[in-house]
Amino acid sequence: MSRLTAATRAHARSFVRDPVNLAFLFVFPPVVVQVYGQAMERFPELSLGSDPGTVGSIAGTLFATAFVAGLIGLFQLLSARRGDERLLIAGFGRSSLLASRLVTLVAATLVVAAVSLTVLSLGTDVAAPGLAYAALVAGGLTYGLIGVLVGTLLPRDLEGSLVLVFLADMDSALSSGVMAVDTAVADVLPLHHPHAAFSEAVTEGSIAAGDARAVVAYLLVLLAAAFFAHRWVAGDGGERA
Amino acid sequence: MSRVGAAVLAGAREYRRTPVLLALFVVLPLYAVVVFRAATPDASVTLHLDSTVTTSMDAVMVSVMTPMAGALLAGIAGLFLTRSAADADGRLVLAGVRPGEMILARLGLLAGVSALGTGVAVAASLFTFDPVQPGWFVAGALLVALIYGMLGVAVGTVLSRLAGVYVLLFGPMVDVFLYQNPLGTETPAVAALLPAHYPLDVAMNAAFTGGADPGTFALGVGYLLAVAGLATAVLARTLR
Repeated sequence: MSRLTAATRAHARSFVRDPVNLAFLFVFPPVVVQVYGQAMERFPELSLGSDPGTVGSIAGTLFATAFVAGLIGLFQLLSARRGDERLLIAGFGRSSLLASRLVTLVAATLVVAAVSLTVLSLGTDVAAPGLAYAALVAGGLTYGLIGVLVGTLLPRDLEGSLVLVFLADMDSALSSGVMAVDTAVADVLPLHHPHAAFSEAVTEGSIAAGDARAVVAYLLVLLAAAFFAHRWVAGDGGERA
Repeated sequence: MSRVGAAVLAGAREYRRTPVLLALFVVLPLYAVVVFRAATPDASVTLHLDSTVTTSMDAVMVSVMTPMAGALLAGIAGLFLTRSAADADGRLVLAGVRPGEMILARLGLLAGVSALGTGVAVAASLFTFDPVQPGWFVAGALLVALIYGMLGVAVGTVLSRLAGVYVLLFGPMVDVFLYQNPLGTETPAVAALLPAHYPLDVAMNAAFTGGADPGTFALGVGYLLAVAGLATAVLARTLR
């Protein structure tokens, strides 16, 4: 077994041992998608020309995926702080460790995106399921990498989680079109382009090239930042408080 | 000083030593009231309260987010007070303090934190928002906070700190912002069962119609007494 595989398996086992993680993967997305959809049906004035229930369900699907992926990114980083420097000393390569963390993050994001999209598709016609899944995974990975960065700057589970909750909640509210915001800041928020891409894929069956490019560019920048974050955390084998 | 007073002071000191709880007093009102207000567009909206009212979108956002900020603060405080105090309170009871005194001290401190959290949120909101009946608006917002504070105590006895925080963050957000929001054209049946239903009705009518209903407020107080009874029961169980 390669070191990458061994490290990834160890991270995955550690992840699934916590019932809260499993609840976030399999219970949280269905609840959020349903609640957002049902609740938004009450707000026809905010629907911006679309069916409010669909607007709410789409927003809930992306929010659930992004938030859960963000938490996983955060906890992967916190776990790296506790254990990866020891693995470095034991001979694991830095790139293998980072790759194992990212593989775990990607795998969990694929799962939560699949759960969320399945729940959405039970009540909403998804025009292009493959594109919608890709956009959803991209939104999830965006927040997964943001979770990594939050864990670097604020290496505590509770405080980091709170930052992610408020960031994802505000980002979702401003990016989803639920509120017709009049600030340009909304255009550069992490979920702005993933939401546009996901919404287009669900309702129109295609994704605008500009949104796709922006999503990929955002991901690449965050990936580079996550690399440096992991290097900072586990880079020299020394503990960083 | 009475034993209850000493226990309240000790709890307050412990609360003060938890930076994240203190930070929330600043961050939550900023997030829920100021940031949402800044992002809200200038637009007129129709509210479906006891009477139909047309008002500005930012006033609606601020009026809804103010009680929500208080509820978030109080719920998380209830959770932390329960989880941090469980061991110490049990030892104090063994040392001779009556369980009733400990419960009174914990719930008294929680009421104080709820009042302070609501006060901070209301103070932040009054820069941009002028309720028709300020007293009833504050009473409604405080009632939401107290109810969620008591629920935080109950949640703290069954969930871990992190899981409990998630429940107490998303619960008030969904209840207050999605199900009790006066922008909604109809009230789903489940909304009437949720903790913020009666107090939000009072607060929203106080804010926009000037027709806060004391009967509805009394129903909210009844809800509070019920969840306070639940909180007392679960606290008493932890002290056995």
